[in-house]
Amino acid sequence: MISMDFWVWVSALLTICSFSLLYGDNILFRFAEYTFISVVIGHAVVTGLQTLYPMFYPLINGTQPILIFPLILGIMALFVAWRKYAWLASLPFAVIVGVGTGLSMRAVITTDIVGSMRALISETGKIFVGQPGDQIGYLIRVVFCIGAMFYFLFTIFVKGRGSVTVGWIRTFGKYVLLIYLGIGLGNSAMQYSGLATSAVNRLLRLWLGFG
Amino acid sequence: MQIPELKSQYVWAILMIFCYIIPGIMPLNTSFPNSSTTTNIYNLIEALPDGSTVVIGGSGVFAFDLESSSGTIPCIQQMARKHIKILNVPLAVEAVQFEKYLIDASRIETKYGGEYLYGRDWIQFPYLAGSPGSLVAFLNDIQKTCPTDVYGTPLSQLELGKDLKDYTDITLWICPHWDFPTIVQYVTGERKIPSISFAQSGAYAQYGPYMTAYPGQVFMTNGFVGGAQYERLNGIKGLGHAVIDGNQIMSILFVAFFVLGNITWLSKRTGGNKK
Repeated sequence: MISMDFWVWVSALLTICSFSLLYGDNILFRFAEYTFISVVIGHAVVTGLQTLYPMFYPLINGTQPILIFPLILGIMALFVAWRKYAWLASLPFAVIVGVGTGLSMRAVITTDIVGSMRALISETGKIFVGQPGDQIGYLIRVVFCIGAMFYFLFTIFVKGRGSVTVGWIRTFGKYVLLIYLGIGLGNSAMQYSGLATSAVNRLLRLWLGFG
Repeated sequence: MQIPELKSQYVWAILMIFCYIIPGIMPLNTSFPNSSTTTNIYNLIEALPDGSTVVIGGSGVFAFDLESSSGTIPCIQQMARKHIKILNVPLAVEAVQFEKYLIDASRIETKYGGEYLYGRDWIQFPYLAGSPGSLVAFLNDIQKTCPTDVYGTPLSQLELGKDLKDYTDITLWICPHWDFPTIVQYVTGERKIPSISFAQSGAYAQYGPYMTAYPGQVFMTNGFVGGAQYERLNGIKGLGHAVIDGNQIMSILFVAFFVLGNITWLSKRTGGNKK
């Protein structure tokens, strides 16, 4: 049974307008696109404003007067839109970048660099134990990882003895990266496909009453 | 021989009919494999002591993240069944609405958890601006970083909120958002709290290595298939199952289109050489 809910109809018509891009650019798609963007921006602004009260509640009730400093920094950041006084925004942005970089440097070294090295060492050990299928899997992962690292580390062409071998490994590393990009692209394609599937599914079930 | 070029409209028409409309009207109930990682996540939640506190949070939501919803919704239902407390911690503006949607779509307050009450069993925090700084602040001191919930009610007035101190009160972190690396870095890497990502297919290939770097601590499911696997473990048929037919047919059609595209390209190249 077709839905009688007004908002389901709005959602369905906007979904169809969005899908009309598949035939080519048209005014219906533009309407849906601009509606979506404006709703997202409006929602973000309202949520941001609503956040101010809970965040500065301790300042209002006087338990954390130190919160006056972030409030001042926040107001200073707004001057970015006013060219004459845009320099005032430099300070809050510098604080944001500085804190972000400081925190990230610590965490990224622990998780991404040391963590990845630990994983590689651990997987190298697993090549020699377990089921043959798993062993091949670990071998591929370790070899691919070394190949990809080679590609980035040996960006300067090596001359003399061993240059041919290094060149081969570097070329192999290039193919490893292409395989990685291919996997990423395939997964992204499946992601968009899944979103489209769920959108059409919603049209069929919620709007038209199939299933 | 040259193969004529296929108009993109025809390709989309084929995809629409075979992947989306036909499976939507007549479900094919195609099979899909189990994943040991999904089973491990399910078992991890099952093994949590009743009354544990779990955070659902992060930043980056893509079009209501239906892919991650498909796994997160059955997981929330499982947690509600075990009376696990949930803290929704949004680190992006759009995450507030998304996390509330996850709770609503799970129907734990009315059906699957039963008597699952706001303030006693779950809390929706306001948007925490300034991640990762705000995330670190939240982990170090929940009361000071988030003195109220999203509705402006002081945490001290909420049964679940009044005793929250810091990250030691958190048993597990679930990230249904895009920015999973931030959670791995600060929650799992620095504070040893296990983390789960109900990842989108696009994120899975990118963030998968974290599972290798932190075995037994970082877990990820893969898109709608992962969601469907979780639904099966939880004994329900939801969003994951609804789209799995389309996904399976799409996988086959993708291969067909890749082959066809390459043949077309090769035939054109051969034709060009002859000229």
